[in-house]
Amino acid sequence: MTLETVGFWVVAVVLLASSLAVVLTPNLFHAVLYLAAALVATGVIFLLLDQPFLFAVQLLLYAGGVVTIVVFAIMLTERLVGERIRQTSRHLVNGAIVAAAVFAGVAGFLLQAPLTTVRPQPAADATVAIGRALVGPFAVTLLLLGVLLVTALLGALHFARGEE
Amino acid sequence: MIGLPSYLVLAALVFSIGLFGVLTRRNAVGILLGIELMLNAVNINLVAFARFNGDLTGLIFTLFTISITVAEIAVGLAIVIAIFRVRRTVEADRLDLLRG
Amino acid sequence: MTADVLLPLLVLAMPFVSFVLLAVVGPLRRTGRGAGVVSIAAIAVSFVAALVVWDRGIVAARTWGWIPADGGPIATVGVLVDPLSNAMLVLVTLVSLLVQIYSLAYLADERRAPLGRYYTYQSLFVFSMLGLVLAPGFLQMFIFWELVGLCSYLLIGFWYERPAAARAAVKAFWITKLGDVGFIVGIVLLWSATGTFEFDDLFEKAQANALAVPGLAAIMFLIYLGAVGKSAQFPLHVWLPDAMEGPTPVSALIHAATMVTAGVYMVTRTEPLFALVPEVLTLIAWVGAFTALLAATMACVEGDIKRVLAYSTVSQLGYMMAAAGAGASPAGFLHLLTHGLFKALLFLAAGAVIHAAGTNDIFRMGGLFRAMPHTAIVFVVGTLALAGVPPLAGFFSKEAVLGGVWEAHLAVPFLMLALTALLTAFYMFRVVFVTFFGRAHAGGHPHEAPWLMRGPLWVLAILTVVVGIRLALGGGEAHEEAPAWLAPLSVGLAAAGFVLAWAMYQRGAIDPARVAAALAPLDYAARRRYGLDALYAGLYRGIILGFSRLIGWIDRYFVDGILNALTALTLRAGDSLRRMQSGRAQDYVYGVAFGMLLLFVCAQLWRR
Repeated sequence: MTLETVGFWVVAVVLLASSLAVVLTPNLFHAVLYLAAALVATGVIFLLLDQPFLFAVQLLLYAGGVVTIVVFAIMLTERLVGERIRQTSRHLVNGAIVAAAVFAGVAGFLLQAPLTTVRPQPAADATVAIGRALVGPFAVTLLLLGVLLVTALLGALHFARGEE
Repeated sequence: MIGLPSYLVLAALVFSIGLFGVLTRRNAVGILLGIELMLNAVNINLVAFARFNGDLTGLIFTLFTISITVAEIAVGLAIVIAIFRVRRTVEADRLDLLRG
Repeated sequence: MTADVLLPLLVLAMPFVSFVLLAVVGPLRRTGRGAGVVSIAAIAVSFVAALVVWDRGIVAARTWGWIPADGGPIATVGVLVDPLSNAMLVLVTLVSLLVQIYSLAYLADERRAPLGRYYTYQSLFVFSMLGLVLAPGFLQMFIFWELVGLCSYLLIGFWYERPAAARAAVKAFWITKLGDVGFIVGIVLLWSATGTFEFDDLFEKAQANALAVPGLAAIMFLIYLGAVGKSAQFPLHVWLPDAMEGPTPVSALIHAATMVTAGVYMVTRTEPLFALVPEVLTLIAWVGAFTALLAATMACVEGDIKRVLAYSTVSQLGYMMAAAGAGASPAGFLHLLTHGLFKALLFLAAGAVIHAAGTNDIFRMGGLFRAMPHTAIVFVVGTLALAGVPPLAGFFSKEAVLGGVWEAHLAVPFLMLALTALLTAFYMFRVVFVTFFGRAHAGGHPHEAPWLMRGPLWVLAILTVVVGIRLALGGGEAHEEAPAWLAPLSVGLAAAGFVLAWAMYQRGAIDPARVAAALAPLDYAARRRYGLDALYAGLYRGIILGFSRLIGWIDRYFVDGILNALTALTLRAGDSLRRMQSGRAQDYVYGVAFGMLLLFVCAQLWRR
């Protein structure tokens, strides 16, 4: 039982538990909090995969930005109605069956595929390489991403503005 | 030994759980949370493949995915708020104007 | 192309030009009288050219290939000019010219547009008839045969708003079509046996005894069927009396002088072929004689003046066919020419009478001699010619027919024809006495016809006399062959008929009602046209309409039913599938998930 194995299993359990909680909690606000936990757990997985940079990005953008946005949205919609939004699910069994079937399908393919279990040597610091790649071969994509973000910003502004 | 399959199976599980959330949640925001989980699982997949195949492209891809997800959540929630203003509800069952 | 071919082509082309002009140039046609002038001018030129052709005695033939094939064209068009066709050319153009001039006055009350339509049809008819006469082969003859039938339909149904006229036109078309079916089958069978449509080739083969085709008798019988329909032989004669619904000039032209004679012309033209099958010729003679007698009996009880003349035409056509069947086709053709003249005269005069008296019924006329002496005189001239009184033209041609039939040793047909001669004189003078003499009826003020109508009448009357005198002096070939007692016999029969009519209708010595009672069964049957019309109507209603109803039922319930079932199925399927579109996004995600699962399964199976 190496440290790596233990760490993986712990993080995996946390991730799965919080994910289940996200989709099963009646209270929406709690669901968001559980989502934050799940996102952080994902970040730790990135760490386990020797990607500290991505861990940082995950925490910043996801756990930080997205969760904040969702919390705000919930508060806004809640306040407009003036009560706590009850969150119930329906057709649990149907959904569970479908989701399970999808998992079975994916896992079936996975386990049939010849996948390596050995980690190669960690490359040089990925961060520098990522940085060089972003302004090198992926420069155009980066710029397009910028355009996308501006567009999203404008769109969100427009929608949130309401009637004038 | 924690190899690639383990990570991929973990991602698949998270994906399925996210799918379950999308299928069963009544509140629109709840559905968006489910989508978040699914995208998260995708990211785990990408990084795992990048690590085990020594390819940088997966990491770049993950960065972009995260950014795009952020943008999508922002716009999606804006739409939810706009709908709420008009129809006074964000229950997914009630939003069936496209019914044939 | 020499003048010998150009002239007949000119005769043919002028009415065609007139027709095209009137058909295409609407404003010209709609002037009514303007159209008439154009048509009359064209046919006048045609007539002059025809006279030149006949006078010069042109003999020529020219064909152009129409449907090409290896080894010579399959079908040709062209002209075949010889004394037979030349005589017909003159007859057709002359009578058409006179009729068209007459129509200007007879149809003066018509509105302009219908009058223009009338002259368009007239031009087309003349063109078709001339094309038929000049045809060098069966195919061209058949094409113009059908065209002539079409014109007959159009002209009989000229006043198409009248249901009776429309029905009569359709009836004429149907009945002649029955004959035409036999005609075309016969033509095609003959072609498949010999490989040609052309008369020249066929006659050569017949001469050289190279026409030993099995079933030639059947083929020639089928070809004869066309003549049965067109020339109103029994049993396809029922359309001619009803065709009187058309305007009287049309009856004079088409149903007296030209179209109905097409059948006789065809049999006469193709005589070398019929000569090879004497049994068919005998049949033709018998049917002709029987038709003559049958129609004469029906004319004796008819009260409509045009119908009497129509039955008379059927009867005389029987004479012509009997002559052709007896192998004396020159006699039959001579009768065709003379009959064309005096029957057209009689019809046009009847038209003047109808125009003046306002009714067709002879028993509502009377004493018209005083009011319209010109018309009465020409009518009597025509009657004398029809009854066969010398020295008018009809005497010579009728005697020639009788002589020919006698020479062929066809005793029973001869007797039938002789009896018919008696009846012909009887019913014609019956009409004369009842219409022109006797007490005048009150009501209406009959007057003499305008000169535009009287002119053609006098022309035809004079021609009848002149032709008769010429035949008396010149063409004596038929005379010598006939037995010596034939001439007195035919004159005697005519005289007997005249006396009988005079006694019954003028003097009142014999009461017509008592005679009718004495011959009660015959009278009854004749009045009902021997049930033939009823038979045809019944067959039509039963078979054709019944068949149509069956087809209609199948169309409604099977064809439409299948369509309706499919449509309903589609609609119902659409309705049930529409429930898939719930409008809820989550349901669509279900769909995506299902699709993905399906893909997984397919991929798994494909890997195996």
